[in-house]
Amino acid sequence: MAGVASSSRQRSKIAPYLMILPALVYLGIFFVVPFFSLARTSLSSMGGSVYLPTLTFNWDFSNYLDAFSHYQDQIIRTFTYALVATLLCLLLAFPLAYVIAFKAGRYKNLILGLVILPFFVTFLIRTIAWKTILADDGWVVSALGAVGLLPSEGRLLSTSWAVIGGLTYNWIIFMILPLYVSLEKIDPRLIEASKDLYSSNRRSFTKVILPLSMPGVLAGSLLVFIPASGDFINADYLGSTQTTMIGNVIQKQFLVVKDYPAAAALSMVLMAIILVGVLLYTRALGTEDLV
Amino acid sequence: MPSKDFDAIDLRQFSRLAANRTSRRRFIGGGAAAAAALAMGGSFLAACSKSDNKSATGTTATQEGPATGTLRISNWPLYMADGFVAEFQKASGLTVDYKEDFNDNEQWFAKVKEPLSRKQDIGADLVVPTQFMAARINRLGWLNEISDSGVPNRKNLRPDLLNSQVDPGRKKTAPYMTGMVGLAYNKAATKRDIATIDDLWDPAFKGRVSLLSDTQDGLGMIMQSQGNSPEKPTTEAVQKAVDLVKEQKDKGQIRRFTGNDYADDLAAGNIAVAQAYSGDVVQLQADNPDLKFVIPESGGDWFIDTMVIPYTTQNQKAAEAWINYVYDRPNYAKLVAFTQYVPVLSDMADELNKIDPKLAANPLINPPQASIDKLKSWADLTDEQTQEFNGLYAAVTGG
Repeated sequence: MAGVASSSRQRSKIAPYLMILPALVYLGIFFVVPFFSLARTSLSSMGGSVYLPTLTFNWDFSNYLDAFSHYQDQIIRTFTYALVATLLCLLLAFPLAYVIAFKAGRYKNLILGLVILPFFVTFLIRTIAWKTILADDGWVVSALGAVGLLPSEGRLLSTSWAVIGGLTYNWIIFMILPLYVSLEKIDPRLIEASKDLYSSNRRSFTKVILPLSMPGVLAGSLLVFIPASGDFINADYLGSTQTTMIGNVIQKQFLVVKDYPAAAALSMVLMAIILVGVLLYTRALGTEDLV
Repeated sequence: MPSKDFDAIDLRQFSRLAANRTSRRRFIGGGAAAAAALAMGGSFLAACSKSDNKSATGTTATQEGPATGTLRISNWPLYMADGFVAEFQKASGLTVDYKEDFNDNEQWFAKVKEPLSRKQDIGADLVVPTQFMAARINRLGWLNEISDSGVPNRKNLRPDLLNSQVDPGRKKTAPYMTGMVGLAYNKAATKRDIATIDDLWDPAFKGRVSLLSDTQDGLGMIMQSQGNSPEKPTTEAVQKAVDLVKEQKDKGQIRRFTGNDYADDLAAGNIAVAQAYSGDVVQLQADNPDLKFVIPESGGDWFIDTMVIPYTTQNQKAAEAWINYVYDRPNYAKLVAFTQYVPVLSDMADELNKIDPKLAANPLINPPQASIDKLKSWADLTDEQTQEFNGLYAAVTGG
């Protein structure tokens, strides 16, 4: 009897490790190995023939200096765009998620379905559709022009606003869903209790709902900010020569110029900045668990 | 051929789905192709499906006698006439696996250079890179020779192409289409004619000009406007052109650097003047008569796309049979009628007239001598030059 119990206890000790094994193997092959390869490339110098270059690993930090000095504009622009898009997503998504969680009643699933529906269409087609909507001769531009709301360029397409709008539109779903999940988990009795204690609507929002939804805010912000920082499709299709993001530069360096160390260094810089930003943000919000 | 920013997907077709302005002609064409596929039944469908008949095709390269088996072709999108592949299959008895997956020279090269350097199959027996790329992979030793016995119709080539400096006698690179790189403009947007490179920098067109992101196509005509020639390019000349582009970009004059996706912006009126490829404009004109194509007064450029057989081909004979079939004038006329580029074969007027008299009369398909005199071709650059020039231009286009 004792033997059976201990072996089952042993099994239950191993079980968690067995369960994370597939994910570990996956991350090992598709994240850890490429990451080190990328880090190594970013510190190498290129030599040999032009088209079949040999990479020599020699701690060549000049790749990083070049990345900063040549592309600081794009780096700053990238994180500005991503930050603004994340904020816009948060502002737009919070009321929506709130309504779905608390006010939608039996239409909850229907509204959730409607939110998700556009995302069945390919990312690319959704982005290119905006080109038609925002076209210089389109009705959106003429309507905004009539009320004097056009940006200084006199157009919408190929401006910073179009790129930020595209980022917001394409990634907002990743804000809505975590927000909805964390709001939905809030026990309505807590809100009732705050009302019983004579708190105004506003106070029960800032003291009860908002703090309890913080895991959703954090998760949503990360899920929007990180991919938006690396995005290059929106800048490519909705932007102009003045709105290139770091993703566009990396793509060009890898595929056209074929300066692999420079491209790798830029990728590492992008990752490092995102990582630092995320750490600061997580600490500032002070939540332990995501969702 | 114009480059694209993406390789996996034909963005131009997608954007036509979204902006249904210039799509009609090609969509009708696509519908006809689908109908033809249904009518043709098995053989056409087999051609469309990705058949991996490596074992069947692997041995045919060395066989005597006519070509057999499967031929895998990788070509640019919208670069093939409806029904052409099916007719070739019928005439040759070969099965063709035709893919429109060649979208950008440099990106294609980035994808295939590893396998080619190890002599591994790249999934295609015949590819259609632009001449500079064909020359590059030839220098790397990755092309097979195209035999005289396999392609007797090579004699139909235009003499100027046959005696090219890049590949004398066209032993390894078989021209597929040539086209002009010039300026296209939307007269409804410009309200005037465009004639020079300086017109691109007219403040009236601020933010409504697009340049090509391809180094040679983008810079060639700019260099000529500065009194330099792409036939004898120097680093200084390229740098001077890049500096001008940078100055205009910083002023906000240049809206986008494009592959051939300028076409939709031009037709939609977002772009007033664009660096453009002649064939694109002829195709677009059918739907939008306001669009014009002009070779800048200071000069434009030729581009030449060439059929090549990589040394990893699984079916050399079939690839040669294809080239020979393309080089037959009546067959080639059908291709030109669709792509609307400048023929690589000589004496095409009769065959084009048989299809449509308007084709041979179109100065963008059959350019007059005055236009030809204004067109230059880029010199055969060394790898180091290409890399250097690409780097200089990418510093402006990519940032």
